[in-house]
Amino acid sequence: MRRDFVARLSYLVPRSAPIVLLLLTLAAVAGFAAVSHLVARFNANQQSRGRKLYAAGLEDVNAHRYDDAVDAFRAALTCDPSNSQYELSLARALRDSGDPLLLDEAESYLLTLWQSAPQDAAVNLALARVAARRGSVADATRYYHNAMYGVWNSDSDVNRRDARIELIQFLLKEKATDRAESELIALASNLPADPALHLQTAQLFEQAHDYSGARSQYEEVLHHESSNAIALAGLGQAFYNLGDYASAQRYLQRAVGANPQDAHSRQLLATAELVLRVNPYRTHISDAERNRRIIAAFTQAERRLAECAQSRSVILPRAISAPVTASTANQPPASPLLALQASWLAMKPQLPHIRSAAETDLPDSIMDLVFQIEQQTASQCGAPQGYDLALLLISQKREAAGQ
Amino acid sequence: MSDGIQIPPSSTSEPARVSYAVPRRLFAGLESVFDEEVFFLILSVFIGIFSGLAVVCFRLAIDWTHLALLGPITHFHNWHIIVVPAGVGLVVALLVMWLFPGVRGSGVNQTKAALYIFNGYIPFRTAVGKFICSALAIGSGQSLGPEDPSLQIGASIASALGRQLKISREKLRLMGPVGAAAGLAAAFNAPISAVLFVIEEVIGRWSAGILGSVVLAAVSSVVIVRWFLGSEPLFRIPITTFKRPSELIAYAILGIVGGFAAVIFSKAVGYLRPRLKAMPRWTQYFQPAVAGLIVGLIAFFGAPEVLGAGYDSMDQAMHGQYAWKLLAILALLKILATTVSFVSGTPGGMFAPALFVGAMLGGAVGGVERLFVPHLAGSTATYVLVGMGVLFAGFLRVPMTSVFMVLEVSGNYEIIVPVIVANTCAYVVSRSLQPIPIFDLLTRQDGLILPSLEEEREETILRVEDAMLPVPKTILNAQDYIDASARRVQDSAEGAFLVRLHPSGWSAISGDQLLRLFQEGKGEHTLGSLLSTQNLPSLYPDLPLDAALRYVNNFPLVPVVHRADSHRLLGVVSRDSVFRKYGGAQTVAGD
Repeated sequence: MRRDFVARLSYLVPRSAPIVLLLLTLAAVAGFAAVSHLVARFNANQQSRGRKLYAAGLEDVNAHRYDDAVDAFRAALTCDPSNSQYELSLARALRDSGDPLLLDEAESYLLTLWQSAPQDAAVNLALARVAARRGSVADATRYYHNAMYGVWNSDSDVNRRDARIELIQFLLKEKATDRAESELIALASNLPADPALHLQTAQLFEQAHDYSGARSQYEEVLHHESSNAIALAGLGQAFYNLGDYASAQRYLQRAVGANPQDAHSRQLLATAELVLRVNPYRTHISDAERNRRIIAAFTQAERRLAECAQSRSVILPRAISAPVTASTANQPPASPLLALQASWLAMKPQLPHIRSAAETDLPDSIMDLVFQIEQQTASQCGAPQGYDLALLLISQKREAAGQ
Repeated sequence: MSDGIQIPPSSTSEPARVSYAVPRRLFAGLESVFDEEVFFLILSVFIGIFSGLAVVCFRLAIDWTHLALLGPITHFHNWHIIVVPAGVGLVVALLVMWLFPGVRGSGVNQTKAALYIFNGYIPFRTAVGKFICSALAIGSGQSLGPEDPSLQIGASIASALGRQLKISREKLRLMGPVGAAAGLAAAFNAPISAVLFVIEEVIGRWSAGILGSVVLAAVSSVVIVRWFLGSEPLFRIPITTFKRPSELIAYAILGIVGGFAAVIFSKAVGYLRPRLKAMPRWTQYFQPAVAGLIVGLIAFFGAPEVLGAGYDSMDQAMHGQYAWKLLAILALLKILATTVSFVSGTPGGMFAPALFVGAMLGGAVGGVERLFVPHLAGSTATYVLVGMGVLFAGFLRVPMTSVFMVLEVSGNYEIIVPVIVANTCAYVVSRSLQPIPIFDLLTRQDGLILPSLEEEREETILRVEDAMLPVPKTILNAQDYIDASARRVQDSAEGAFLVRLHPSGWSAISGDQLLRLFQEGKGEHTLGSLLSTQNLPSLYPDLPLDAALRYVNNFPLVPVVHRADSHRLLGVVSRDSVFRKYGGAQTVAGD
């Protein structure tokens, strides 16, 4: 019976090739429509499930539960594999999970996203952070730059600036100070009138040892907030590092006044004041005062030399023991401290002639010896304190001025 | 009747053909365009479309089943992963035993059987059954893949379409492979590999006639799948590199290890399958459930990666997520899980598990090599990718497909040399330790004798040059007179003589015939004017000896000439020389 029906049905099927192909086309179109509907419904269902899982993942990220977040984002991605937002979030969670094995997977997800949208700033930023985590300066710099010049969905100025600041922080961490400095210059040239941003930039300049840049940024801050204690301290410190102890003293006094708890500024202030007090090269002081400061420095240098020699168990002669002969002159001294002591002892008899108008070079010669002693003892016995520190700073300033 | 193979109701009667005459005036103009070849090519596109649509639905069904039964993420120590595969295994067994007896196993053999035994007949019911049972089995976590079922679904759709349109038996036989290529291409999202697999494993020969249809079907099905499911590859492929030739040593080692693993896998399947089939019939209701329980226990105790096809885990292995020890353990556990799932008769494929085992093994071998010979080792991703190809070559024994599959999946042609080296090593090791390929082994276990395409490839072919005799001493000319020619041959021991025609060509005449012409008083005629055969066909030395059989019965001698210069005679073949060669070959074969 059934066979008869099938036979009759198949008799109805046309035998003409064009009609057969037409019917096949219609069947294909119908199948296409049906599968489209099915796929659309399935996808809608999956997307809804994916959204819930994604939301759960975001909660996990906010609570720093990165392992759970990875699971949630993976599940969300299973539900909606083409969702680049889920992929990006998964990559971020993998990266932030702290597991170095997961970093590769994070990078792989991000590279897939990057290939489809190389201009996407968020993807580039995420890739930059992966590269930064790996300590790869070249890759990180490239991706950070891509992020800065890429397309942001919103707040592009803020995001670009944040990306640059992040790059600078990374470069500073990696001791790539030159690159950091050039990024800082670019950053400083585009800053809005925001004291907080200027303050942050100034501190970054300071970390990059660019005290001129730091000074101008601190000045910008003080231009908006004249009593900002951090900026006052920072500016004072910048002047201090630039060797402008008078200005340093001025701002550090204000900083300590604004924040008496600031021990670091107080210490810098003390040193700056000491430098100003003992510096024989300071303008607007009398010859007598200058000579007094030179003699005091000379005496202090001997004291510092003795202390240093004692700490290093070197016995210094109290007087010139023997003239320097040809045979001993060729031999290197046992310690540089001995040579300095010898020079100091040789110089000591000339000290009374400092007031003589004929000895015009003597003050400089004495101070040169003092600076040599301070520098040598600093390298042999560690950083000095107080008076010696002040002398050392003066020597550095002199050297810088000479260059 | 064997498992998974259904004998058609009538496989010998020639079906009525589609009429290509002009039944209606309206289409009279178009009819002339559609000869059977063109019609078959167009039909291949439709087969691709329908197979693609079916595979899209199949993949949705697997995903939906997986999500519904196991959830989006599978964690171990979750009782679901024990209960679900076992429970669904029971349901699948009932479906297979009661409704769809033809859907057990992979589907590749059934498609081959349809081509060689059943005139292209694959019941449409098989497609339905394969779809439902495989989706349930794979979605519930049985360690099987969706590719082989997709292949069979495609073949089944093609066969049903061919039968419905009543195309010729010759074409109907080819419908299965065409549909198979479409199904496999859609499942892998890799048309070249699918075409190669069908040529290499199912059809077994390169034929221009079928190749066009197979390619059209594969490409159209891939277009459909990409339309609906996107064109993303199966894996996120990291950067894979091949820097130094010395790395090839490391990949060769991987190939050897993969070859051994493939043998273990094949032997395990080959040993257990007939024994489980031989068990009482009632046990077959429980075998998929027990297999599901074993797979579930493996997953529960720490390796949920073995559940299902395992593409996500392969992806993670590629990105270095697992240590080499874990990769090695996962490879072994997957072999175990897939073996029990497959031999239990659960419908599902072995392509994805083979890829999984290869990927894990590749990663593990890479990890070990990196530990001991770091200067030889490449990236993890390269090892994982090469490992996939290794198992494909060693286990499924499709060396060409294995190479192109890796290239197509990775989209990176830089690793072609490592892939070829490793796959060749795996193939050689596997072939020497397990002479019968897995698909042939399964076919023989089912009691079917299908041509072993691997053996065919290795078979020695007799050629014309093997039966060729030296150039005869006496060669006559067509312009010579009969009496002169008769005088030349009267003392010759040869029974037949070649005659050079003018300006070109060859003919032949027997000594007796020449003597008779002379005795009949035709001595003053030229030889050429009286030859019964004016122009003999020529043979070339490289032709199969079968080609000579067509002529040696009709002509005493057949000339063998140079391909580049048809005037240059290289030798001759006669009936005796040909038959002697076949007799010798038979003796050798008999030995």
